[in-house]
Amino acid sequence: MFEGNKLSSPIAEFNGVSFRYGTGTDILKDIQLTLDPGSFHFMTGESGAGKTSLLGLLYMNHLPTKGRVRLFGKAVDTLSRADKAQIRRQIGVVFQDYRLLSHLNAFDNVALPLRIAGVKETEIKRHVSELLAWVGLEKQIKAFPDELSGGEKQRIAIARAVINRPQLLIADEPTGNVDDAMAKRLLYLFLELNKLGTTIVIATHNQNLIKHFGFVQLHLSHGHIQYINQEKQSKHFQQGETA
Amino acid sequence: MRKPSDIPFVQDSSCFFVAWIGMLMVFLATLTCALAMITYSSVQSWHKDIAGSLTVQIPSYDKEGNSRKDVLQSDIETALTIIRSSDGVIGANPLNDNQMDQLMAPWLGDHVVTSELPLPKIIDVVIDTENLPDLAQIKADLAEQVPLAVLDSHRVALADLIKLAHNIIKLIGGILILLLISMAFSIMFVTKSGLKVHHATIALIHMMGAGDFYITRQFANRSFKIAFIGSFIGFLLALPIMMMFAYYLNNLTGSFILGTALTHQQWGILASLPFISGILAYLTAFKTVLTELKRSL
Repeated sequence: MFEGNKLSSPIAEFNGVSFRYGTGTDILKDIQLTLDPGSFHFMTGESGAGKTSLLGLLYMNHLPTKGRVRLFGKAVDTLSRADKAQIRRQIGVVFQDYRLLSHLNAFDNVALPLRIAGVKETEIKRHVSELLAWVGLEKQIKAFPDELSGGEKQRIAIARAVINRPQLLIADEPTGNVDDAMAKRLLYLFLELNKLGTTIVIATHNQNLIKHFGFVQLHLSHGHIQYINQEKQSKHFQQGETA
Repeated sequence: MRKPSDIPFVQDSSCFFVAWIGMLMVFLATLTCALAMITYSSVQSWHKDIAGSLTVQIPSYDKEGNSRKDVLQSDIETALTIIRSSDGVIGANPLNDNQMDQLMAPWLGDHVVTSELPLPKIIDVVIDTENLPDLAQIKADLAEQVPLAVLDSHRVALADLIKLAHNIIKLIGGILILLLISMAFSIMFVTKSGLKVHHATIALIHMMGAGDFYITRQFANRSFKIAFIGSFIGFLLALPIMMMFAYYLNNLTGSFILGTALTHQQWGILASLPFISGILAYLTAFKTVLTELKRSL
């Protein structure tokens, strides 16, 4: 596991976590998981294996039905609403369905996390413009989501997730609608963030990317999690390979 | 660059219901407030009319022209007892001969001895204007025990009018409170509806780390803006009706309703109604959103 920016406590810890929707069967069963600061994980698994549910637990979209989730050293079931908001500002999320706000243009969608964090408008303008240029959307800065292609929306969603340099970045199929070249470009953006200390978890089916970057895989199957490639990743980074 | 709202209020037509509510409520509130102010001003002027003292007359001769000299003094004593025992009466004294002479001098000259004329005896009553006596009761008691005594009837009617006006002002106050409560409830339901409409956006903003106050402020600001605009239109619509009403009152009653011209202070109060409506909308939306958000994850 990559430990270049290791802090004292894990970013996320799952202790015996199970989860189900309503009265259904358990989607996740007795999950033990630790995400150290600065780590980079791919999450794989069949459709319906529970990837989105596990990611949802990571950004506190729901609470576990059993066990305990700790984020940034704090048990999420004991957090106050203010603490939850404060922790969520350190988490960037790329949703599978993008979840862009249709009444906001590309600039304002990307600027949203900064505005929530109370950053000055002059700073916002500079950062957002730079990032949109980096993801190749400088010409679509005033375009609304309805005017953008699937790939462009995805890049806006990614830009929005990384704009405030989160400590934990969660991405659900972030490269599902872009070609391989753009997918690698976006992964390098994630890698740059990772080098700055961001812990990254990416749910993906893209085996090319997994093979190319060779990070630890968290493979979900029948509600259980297994680690794949753990040694390979350490070796990978010890050799100093980066973007 | 103008910062857009994170929540797509423009897609939510229920917001404009707040504008309609504000318009209607402030329209009604402006008219009722103006009515209360006119009534209050009139009461003030009527108070001046009955301020100080009033008089009770006890005739020296009966209707057939017979002298009542033998019963006059006892009538005066009875009348004084009735008047002095009434709450709100500071003092009551019959005018002596000298005072009567001075009173009649402008009409009869300085050298006339009024005691030799068939003039009624007059009792001067000093009343407390802050605590008006029940003149109707005094009049009734006098009618029973001193049937020929005459209480200044214009003042009695004015005192009744003042009581009626006070009750009207209280009623208007009650109507205003009802209007405010109705508006607050309407805004609360519209805000709850808005929270349902924008649920997905709110959940997303929450997930990005927005605190409850960040979201609440957006709803409250929107509610203030919409309610204020609607309320201001309601205020403007009420103005021509107020002017027509004032014109009608002036022509109908002459100087009886003296308060149709509002003071600057009263205009200021009326002009503040759209702001009050906006603030009410802000506070109601703020409280509603905060309460609802605390129930969510």
